[in-house]
Amino acid sequence: MSEVRPSYGAELLARIRTLRIRTLLQPPGRYWLATVARLVLGGVFIAAGAVKVGDLSASGRAVAAYRLLPFDVAMFVGTVQPFVEIALGVLLVLGLGTRLAAVISGLMLIAFTIGIVSAWIRGLRIDCGCFSRGGDLAAGERTQYLSATIRDIALLFAAGFLALFPRSRLSLDDKLLDGGRT
Amino acid sequence: MSSRARQKQAARVVREQMARERRRRRTTWISVAAIAVLLIAGLIGFAVWRSDGSTGYATPAGITDDGGTDSGIVAAGSGPVTVEVYLDFLCPACKQFEAEANPVLDQLVAENRIRLVWHPLGFLDRLSSPPGYSTQAAAAAGCAADEGKLKAFGDALFARQPAEGGPGLSDDEIIEIGGEVGLITPSFAQCVRDGTYRGWVDHVTNEAARRGVTATPTVFVDGVQVNPTGAEIAAAVASR
Repeated sequence: MSEVRPSYGAELLARIRTLRIRTLLQPPGRYWLATVARLVLGGVFIAAGAVKVGDLSASGRAVAAYRLLPFDVAMFVGTVQPFVEIALGVLLVLGLGTRLAAVISGLMLIAFTIGIVSAWIRGLRIDCGCFSRGGDLAAGERTQYLSATIRDIALLFAAGFLALFPRSRLSLDDKLLDGGRT
Repeated sequence: MSSRARQKQAARVVREQMARERRRRRTTWISVAAIAVLLIAGLIGFAVWRSDGSTGYATPAGITDDGGTDSGIVAAGSGPVTVEVYLDFLCPACKQFEAEANPVLDQLVAENRIRLVWHPLGFLDRLSSPPGYSTQAAAAAGCAADEGKLKAFGDALFARQPAEGGPGLSDDEIIEIGGEVGLITPSFAQCVRDGTYRGWVDHVTNEAARRGVTATPTVFVDGVQVNPTGAEIAAAVASR
């Protein structure tokens, strides 16, 4: 007839857990969560664009390697994409036009995910070209489709969150719209 | 409620309305600014894409280029059948292919049966660290072609092939390899150091991708793809 009592530690942990989720989903916690989402998503886009902007035709060939677009269209997309990625990343990091930037980056992430999954299904052996020059893999290399898909979906969650709740701390939107009172 | 309190309340309602209106206007302007940033970025990319024409790079001697997919360079021979090899100086399978097929290719060249055309590619640029050995080596091959020693230099580069994932070779090492096959002029060394033919390698690599070449080595005999072995090439040439 022993009474099962949760240990003090477990109780504390449970309390912290409920507290954290609640505080994160309501202002002001939510504003900070949105700030983190902005910085992560924006940072990833800047990094992805910066890696590719140094060799634009390799970026174009990386798009062509998916064999979804005609070659010249792929080269065009691959040339323009790094610049747009960097611009989107800068908007997100600054928090300028957050909802718009989040929606556009979400659409791009959906496109990337479709590309990767379709390459996977078709059995292509390519580098996704997410953070590198991409292209067809050499003989000994392994494909990384699963990790790339998981990463894109995680980022898609961040973009979706920002599209729903664009207000965040340390953002230009906040300064310009609410005088820094968010 | 006194009339004064009513007035105060009315004034507050008006103020709040004006604040909401101001916020809405600013939101619109922020969206316009954000779209402008994205459009400018896109236009920069578009301008780069437009300016990336097929004329803005130096070409080495002996290229077979017609401005289109025929982007190779003659490595040896002037026979009636064209054997094209797409290769990457970092690719181990290309080195093996060289070792295996060279006796056959040399013989076919000696008998004046074939013209051997190379397409040196930058496919594996990301597999050296720092990236870019493939393009560096292929551009150096263009320098060797200017001096009429492409084949000998290419064979020597394959003999000293660095490992994938490693640092590749320095310009000095590449120049030294050139010296081993008689490339001792200062102009060759300068050409390697300047990376004179990098733009040309980029063009060759793009044209290979356009043609659907996805791996190296890839071999075509008079435009028909064959397996990259000496025996299959010899058989394909014999049937022409």
